[in-house]
Amino acid sequence: MAVTPTAALVQTLNGIQFGFILFMIASGLTVILGILDVLNLAHGELFSIGAYTAIGVFGFIIGIVGPPGGGVAGTAVFLFAVLAAVLVTAAILLPVGTLFEAVFLRQIYDRDQVYQLVLTFALLLILLDVKKFIWGDSSIRTDAVYSAINTIPTSELVGLNYPTYNVFVILVGSAVVAGLFWFFERTKTGRIIRATAIDREMATAIGVSTDRVFTLVFALGAFLAGFAGAMAVPPTSATLEMGTNPLVLSFVVIVIGGLGSLRGAFVGALLVGVIRSWMITLYPPGEIAAPFAIMALILLVKPEGLFGTWGETA
Amino acid sequence: MERTTTDHDTGGIGRRKLLSAVGGSAVAAALAGCSTLLSDGESAEQGGQSSGGISDEPIQAGLLTFTRGAPGVLGIQAQRGAELAVQRINEAGGIGGQREIELDVVNEGSNPLDSYNQFIEEGKEVTFGPISSGTHSQIAPEVEKNEVINVSTDGTVTTLYEETVPDPTYSFRFQNYDIMEVVTMAREAVERIGADNISTVAGVNPGYSFGEDEMRVFTQAIQKLTDAEIVYEGFPELGASDMSNHITSINNEEPDVTFSSLWGGDVTTFVRQANANNMFENTTVFGTTLYSAAGDVPGDALAGTDIYSGSRNYYWGKPALGNWQPGRELFDAATQQDGVTVPTAHYMSGYGAVTAWATAVEKAIDLLGTYPSQEQIAQMLEGHGFFTPAGYHNIAEDHQGASNSFAGKMVYDDDLGAARLEDVNTYAATETAPPPGVTGSDWLDSWSA
Repeated sequence: MAVTPTAALVQTLNGIQFGFILFMIASGLTVILGILDVLNLAHGELFSIGAYTAIGVFGFIIGIVGPPGGGVAGTAVFLFAVLAAVLVTAAILLPVGTLFEAVFLRQIYDRDQVYQLVLTFALLLILLDVKKFIWGDSSIRTDAVYSAINTIPTSELVGLNYPTYNVFVILVGSAVVAGLFWFFERTKTGRIIRATAIDREMATAIGVSTDRVFTLVFALGAFLAGFAGAMAVPPTSATLEMGTNPLVLSFVVIVIGGLGSLRGAFVGALLVGVIRSWMITLYPPGEIAAPFAIMALILLVKPEGLFGTWGETA
Repeated sequence: MERTTTDHDTGGIGRRKLLSAVGGSAVAAALAGCSTLLSDGESAEQGGQSSGGISDEPIQAGLLTFTRGAPGVLGIQAQRGAELAVQRINEAGGIGGQREIELDVVNEGSNPLDSYNQFIEEGKEVTFGPISSGTHSQIAPEVEKNEVINVSTDGTVTTLYEETVPDPTYSFRFQNYDIMEVVTMAREAVERIGADNISTVAGVNPGYSFGEDEMRVFTQAIQKLTDAEIVYEGFPELGASDMSNHITSINNEEPDVTFSSLWGGDVTTFVRQANANNMFENTTVFGTTLYSAAGDVPGDALAGTDIYSGSRNYYWGKPALGNWQPGRELFDAATQQDGVTVPTAHYMSGYGAVTAWATAVEKAIDLLGTYPSQEQIAQMLEGHGFFTPAGYHNIAEDHQGASNSFAGKMVYDDDLGAARLEDVNTYAATETAPPPGVTGSDWLDSWSA
């Protein structure tokens, strides 16, 4: 199949867009791993709860605002409403994360890591049943966002055929990346979190409450999972199984980037997204294998991942 | 444009012919939805079978189907169809006027063989389902071993009775199978846009044996009907959230025809994302099971699309609801059931599988005067012809069900609150299925180019 330059550009954009969704998921996994040293197997379920929750929140908020109105102002109002819905969804996941950390995880920090794996796997199963209880067995979707955003002209202004919603994901994803780096590099809370990650005992000695930091970090991880779920659901549907694949790919991403490295998660996510996209185009059977092959290659050459562990820099 | 193919459906069928085909029993009449036909002196109780040697023990039946998740879009339709058929049988007095049916339903899920074996351990006298071809390939050999009749609702892989169970006794299939629906769509593509206008073809099909099988058959059929070149084949995994890469590839190639056997929730994802990428400006989509998402795909996603979908052996508008009372009765009853916006071919999979078995048992009772054995029912099902509101069906000696298939343009109907087919063409089974004893591949090979 001959690929034209335009198709090549669109396939790359598809990969970048998927990479940003992956990064939003992997970033939550990364901060929890980097600071709490916990590999949270329930993270994919938090992502899917974000997707389910977002469908209701989108319906409520877009119902108030209505479809994108005419002109720049109307469009801006609609986009603001969508962003508000995403943030509200993510905020709903904050107390969920807080509860999990305070009630369950805090009890087992001092135990062997296998206890954390079993506990978070148990949480995964419980969340699966909770979803079934609340939203039922059937898949559900939101119709309010995807088509509406795609009516806003963007890529066609430069002669491309690319959905505006994907542009929206890339822009919001970029803002999330910038926001996270700004938070950890520039804010006092971010620095305290990094300090705790680098040397827990020293942080305690200078008066940092590690309990609070840990709760905050787990809640932040849940927030990011919910944010990712809300951003990912409009073009597709929320299903009971939707947490599994992103979780597995997120593990690949954080291994490629370096366990617990936010910078590594960003680079890893874009790498996996773009390579997967091109693999589907050029050799479809390699779609699933390609990310794992890259991971294996990087582990052979650089066992600590591209950027090593997190702390000194974000 | 409406095709003028010989139409073997039941539009305008006479009372005598119908009663003759169904064996004249109350159960058969109830299943064909034509209880009004018996009102002139032949009550349901006088339906026609002896009941002297038949116990009044309920018949324990099992249905294996998808009751949740993305495949539930299909599986719940089959469940509701089977439930309605059982309800009608019981309201008509039960099988042989004596035996009501109790139907257990289990999720096909990840261990379908265990669920099937559980049915056998529980002493089920008949099993229905499954939906998935993979499950069917696992179960069919077990059915033969257990010697308990199974009438599958779907499980439509072409090779089932060619390779997996080449000489079946107890395993039957009600639904039109893969080659029939694929050939229907290849003929539909030629019918709609002309063989001379089809020079390039792409495919987006589910990434497992069913999707690969359908693309292989479509390639073989369309290349016999046209000189088309296959320019792209994509196989997204089931439940994929992102199909944009396949859509971009199709936009790059701009094929005359894009063939798809995506089904259930995947149809909604594909259509929405394809529309957002303006794919329908570059190709016309022909799909075997796209209409399975009739109640799920939103109106805005279908606006401006160019999609022709098959509907296997059932489309509720054929025969027209107003022309033949059973169609109206079934449609109204179906739309009142939980989870059914409009009944699709998978609804008829469940309804028809139960009907095939029940009408065969009724015929056996008429002949024997007592309740038949599994082997006698199996013999009766071979060559069995019967009616449902989808029309006339026949299960041939190769155990494969066959009936008309339908295809039309998929549009959104605001009044219905679901997708419907417009300008529907009918294809007779003789146009779409190989003769019994001939493999699908050999049959397609035999077509003159």
